[in-house]
Amino acid sequence: MTHIQTSPGALAPGSDRCAERRNGPGDSAPPVGPKRSGRGDNLAGYLFMSPWIAGFLFLIAGPMVFSLYLSFTEYNLFDAPRWIGLRNFTDMFADPRWRQSVEVTSWYVLIGTPVKLAAALAVAMLLAQKRWGQSFYRAAFYAPSLIGASVSAAIVWRALFSDDAVVDRTQKLFGVGSGGWIGDPEMIIYALVALTVWQFGAPMVIFLAGLKQVPRELYEAAEVDGAGRWRRFFHITLPMISPVLFFNVLLETIHSFQIFGSAYIVSNGSCGPADATLVYTCYLYDQGFVNSRMGFASAMGWLLLVAVGLVTAVLFRSQKRWVHYEEGGR
Amino acid sequence: MSRNNGIDRRQMLKLAGFSAAGLGLTAAGCGSGGSGSGGPVTIRHSWWGADDRAKKIQQCVALFEKKHPKIKVKTDFQQYPDFWKKFNTQAAGGNPPDVIQNAVTFLRKYEAKNVLLDLNPQVEKGNLSLDGFRAGLEKFADIDGKLLGVPVGSNSMALVIDQAVYEKAGITPETGWTWDQWYAGMEKIRDGQKVAGDVGPHGVMYLYDLILRQNGKAFFTEDGMGFGEAELLPYWTEALARVKSGIYADPKKVEQIKPASALARGIASGEFTWDNFSIRYSAEGKSRYGLAPIPSSDGRRTGQYLGSLMLSGSARTKHPAEVATFIGFMTHEPEVARIMGYDRGVPATTAQFEAYRPTDAPSKAIEAYETEIADAGVLEPITPHPAGADVIEAAFLRIAGDLSLGKASPKDSVKQFFSEAKTALASN
Repeated sequence: MTHIQTSPGALAPGSDRCAERRNGPGDSAPPVGPKRSGRGDNLAGYLFMSPWIAGFLFLIAGPMVFSLYLSFTEYNLFDAPRWIGLRNFTDMFADPRWRQSVEVTSWYVLIGTPVKLAAALAVAMLLAQKRWGQSFYRAAFYAPSLIGASVSAAIVWRALFSDDAVVDRTQKLFGVGSGGWIGDPEMIIYALVALTVWQFGAPMVIFLAGLKQVPRELYEAAEVDGAGRWRRFFHITLPMISPVLFFNVLLETIHSFQIFGSAYIVSNGSCGPADATLVYTCYLYDQGFVNSRMGFASAMGWLLLVAVGLVTAVLFRSQKRWVHYEEGGR
Repeated sequence: MSRNNGIDRRQMLKLAGFSAAGLGLTAAGCGSGGSGSGGPVTIRHSWWGADDRAKKIQQCVALFEKKHPKIKVKTDFQQYPDFWKKFNTQAAGGNPPDVIQNAVTFLRKYEAKNVLLDLNPQVEKGNLSLDGFRAGLEKFADIDGKLLGVPVGSNSMALVIDQAVYEKAGITPETGWTWDQWYAGMEKIRDGQKVAGDVGPHGVMYLYDLILRQNGKAFFTEDGMGFGEAELLPYWTEALARVKSGIYADPKKVEQIKPASALARGIASGEFTWDNFSIRYSAEGKSRYGLAPIPSSDGRRTGQYLGSLMLSGSARTKHPAEVATFIGFMTHEPEVARIMGYDRGVPATTAQFEAYRPTDAPSKAIEAYETEIADAGVLEPITPHPAGADVIEAAFLRIAGDLSLGKASPKDSVKQFFSEAKTALASN
């Protein structure tokens, strides 16, 4: 999971692990006053953390608090912010383009995430078996994750899916020419989905790690009992890797909500055609930086945070039903 | 909960990234400004345009630095929409470039925000001359007694055409032709040569402004909209029918070749735009591109006015005298005209106009066109657009595009446009 933040004060006093850490190897003398030494450590700790703390306060916490304030104002960057209460939020719900952006984003998350994870799992299962050239294939399948989020990949994508380009010509070979996906409001979202699915390498690597931990005996026992390939998959593999699957679902869902760059570049900065790629962050950017409605954009940002928080909470709640943790692992 | 923190942090980082990018740019400019006393002074100049314009301007800047060794000019350019995003952020952050390329749409907007330098004091001090401008152009950016910019060139709306297609169809557009004659020509082209007659003009604010003026209205008044749903609904309803019947180009194709032009790619045979675009299309496309007059309703009034690119100073510049010197050089120096040609329109001053005699066909056509409309006496004064006009122009273009693609009915599109226009006027 993401890094767990441990502040010095968070360690339970008197816990064995704490004591162990304080008296590191070579620290033979027993602590005279644990409080005093603790305070010295704390000071040094805070000192070492200070660049991070300063960065957090000035670059993250400060702007966040300010944007929360802005979300209740009308602010065009030049004139002082004007308090308008909840009007940004009510305007949002009345705005058909905002609703469109919610729809496009939800659609993207609902299609892109499952397809990407299915691809990642399928390839991970193929690569989990020992065979010749295995590390090469792992690297090759992982590579798109490294470059997929880049501007150049998105530009290539636009070129691939345009009228009379590679994809369209391939379709024509089968007699189903589309005239390009980029100009078609119905199709362009699938070009974006394809771009994210293509980057299945990161979840794939995590799946691979998960698959390696499934004990071989379980498969052997099931085989002896006559379980077929699918049965083994649904009754052994899937439950055994469910914590990893949960982690990937969580991460990819959150990631999908934040799509911006690919939508912006594949649509040539228009988030079109006909608002077909008007993902949430695209509209936020448009309102903030093109229309100079920073208050409205801030309000949108906070609403996205709340929405992603809710989705995350729901996913965590659902864990009990389908995520299986091994007894020993607890 | 630490997980939630992870999310919003990334979210905020993304936003912080945008602002940091802006900060970085302004910071880059900070250190370079000289103190003004003795040592060389550095001013920053940025503009929008394509690569060829950048090359030409950089040549002019090199020439300027040679003649004014105590002034250094740092340059920067983007495409049109990106330019304004960046400038807006820079200006809000208090460190815009000292000299920018500007247009009439942005004058009132940035005047209201105190972003633009009033150049009148510099004129009085003799750092900038307003003598020798053609057709009263020096008054172009005079807003409420403040001189907010100086034109570098003038241009007019025109119908840029694919001459090969028009000749084959036997259409010869002449001054005084009407919309009905134009439409008959479009049908002829579509039926005879299987190519769309026009790129699709119904999202071009500057053309619709002319059509409204032909009927006694205008797109903008000084502080709001100059027309209503009663005008726009029939206009867009008709446009949608023309998209469907192939008179206007297939919007899906137009969309996919962006930022290239549908006219230069041979998807359509005409486009209503500024006349200096024919130079760009001649460089990009395979055919010959000429200029045809704007059709009118009554055979006389085209509603046209001279448009202009101009140079404006920043109100926050530490070097207003150097800014004025640079703007003066760019508008009066004959050598600049020989370098720039008609890239930013026909040069605004007589000195520059005479210094550059076009030799290539597209530039000659522009000269002929500009002379013709000046002689025909159709030019009207321009109304400076209200603050928010830039956002409205973009919304007009986008919603017209959505309409063509069948996203919304003409009625809903018109409603959406006026709702966005209202917001833009209120919040800018």
